[in-house]
Amino acid sequence: MDTITSKLRTYEEINDRIAKGEAVVVTAEEVINLVEDEGARRAAREVDVVTTGTFSPMCSSGVFLNFGHADPPIRMQKIWLNDVPAHGGLAAVDTYLGATNLSETAPDYGGAHVIEDLVRGREVTLKAVSGGTDCYPRKEVTTDITLLSINEAVMFNPRNCYQNYNAAVNTTKKTIRTYMGTLLPDMGNVSFATSGQLSPLFNDPTFRSIGMGTRIFLCGAQGHIAWHGTQHRPSVVERDGKTIIGGATLSVVGDLKKMSADFLRAAVFPGYGVSMFVGIGIPIPILDEEMLRATAVTDDELYTQIIDYSYPHRQRPALGTVSYGELRSGTVTLDGKEIRTSPLSSYAKAREIAQTLKKEIEESQFLLQRPAWTLPREGVNNHLE
Amino acid sequence: MNAMIKRKVIFTFPPEIVEKPISHTLMRDYDLWVNILRAKIEPSSGGKLVLELRGDEDMIEQGIESARQAGAGVTLLEHDVLWDKELCVDCGACISTCPTQALSLDRDNFKLIFDFEKCVACGTCAEVCPVKAITIEF
Ligand code: SF4
Ligand code: SF4
Repeated sequence: MDTITSKLRTYEEINDRIAKGEAVVVTAEEVINLVEDEGARRAAREVDVVTTGTFSPMCSSGVFLNFGHADPPIRMQKIWLNDVPAHGGLAAVDTYLGATNLSETAPDYGGAHVIEDLVRGREVTLKAVSGGTDCYPRKEVTTDITLLSINEAVMFNPRNCYQNYNAAVNTTKKTIRTYMGTLLPDMGNVSFATSGQLSPLFNDPTFRSIGMGTRIFLCGAQGHIAWHGTQHRPSVVERDGKTIIGGATLSVVGDLKKMSADFLRAAVFPGYGVSMFVGIGIPIPILDEEMLRATAVTDDELYTQIIDYSYPHRQRPALGTVSYGELRSGTVTLDGKEIRTSPLSSYAKAREIAQTLKKEIEESQFLLQRPAWTLPREGVNNHLE
Repeated sequence: MNAMIKRKVIFTFPPEIVEKPISHTLMRDYDLWVNILRAKIEPSSGGKLVLELRGDEDMIEQGIESARQAGAGVTLLEHDVLWDKELCVDCGACISTCPTQALSLDRDNFKLIFDFEKCVACGTCAEVCPVKAITIEF
């Protein structure tokens, strides 16, 4: 007798079908209706791949760049791109530019804007200085670069794609400005930041297909999961009789030269700083019925906690538990009060990403990659004292 | 006698014509009442002028045409608040901060809906928008 974990297909079989243009692909939204209509058992036998998507501000993002050598050559020790400082502690003409670095001259401009400008094909001014060495005598260089003119541009984001994230509220008497957006006084609004039922790690919550090497859609290009993300802390907690899963994160890598500004955008949060919208889509192979059942999860079954972001300490109090269905409806009720909600991640873009990835797989342009190892189910949780 | 009307216009101009006094011409030659809502002029890169014009409808038309002839870019402002749909990523960050509920997400496609009828041009959304897709034009 078949059980829900009986193998239905392998990665190799799925890729064969993709190569022949025969793979059956649905998005993590479409699969919900499919399961309602014909049940998980039948749907699992039909569907090869379910696609997911998210488009959220993800601060822990950035790019490695290699500029190529000037003549005479310079070992760059301090580096600026459009007046945004980049890291000078690598080899002569390598750097890492973090998305949240701020311009030393322009307000509301930072590393993420430089990255977006590069992706849009715009010129960016590179300035570097050095003490000069025997093999790298030059002490200063100022020149314009573009994405095409430099050797490599590799996005490498240490922490992206949070499985779940808090919703934020402010209980004080004055407006506060946070990375969760502007929070109005007296619980005037709630902001939240995942794409819920479309979000990659909600659709494979035990990481059966998610790990080092998994091929993903990254800002319009094909990238890979590099590692688990920093602060990767998978957890399942019960609160108010509801199960809240979350805490897993991903580190991802991909070729910036192949990315598109449709799926990567600089973001400014007033009073907080610069971040970057990163678009990620992950294809989930339906290896057995259990995997399909996981992808059919709905916003009404996914919960998060509303956290008071005005509390100035690490352990911020939780004020309630809400479903993504409630959050996405536009208002939630907390302490008898109806509060309007703002998503910070774009559901429209998440859907566009899941659809784009679906099309790429259907058209044989995107093959699945089995991970070398899957994400750990446990994380560490240390603090600065 | 034509109707007296009021119209908001954005003029943009390249550095060559920065020196030409657009608002002065509109007042003197077209007999318009001109209120300068915003002016940003840099000799090197040109400028931008947001004007509220009042006067005879035909005169307003002719006045705007003359500025166009002189090389200025002309945008008629339907609203005080400009929303650049191309830049907008439909994140929704603006929605819950709007005091008049002019902003919402479409229930079907989850894209932003901007109800200009409800907007009182308070500027909150423009400040909050992470990609600067909303600007206040006065
Ligand atoms: S300007 Fe003010 S009233 Fe108008 S949409 Fe923006 S927040 Fe709402
Ligand atoms: S905050 Fe800006 S980008 Fe986001 S929905 Fe509003 S206008 Fe669009």
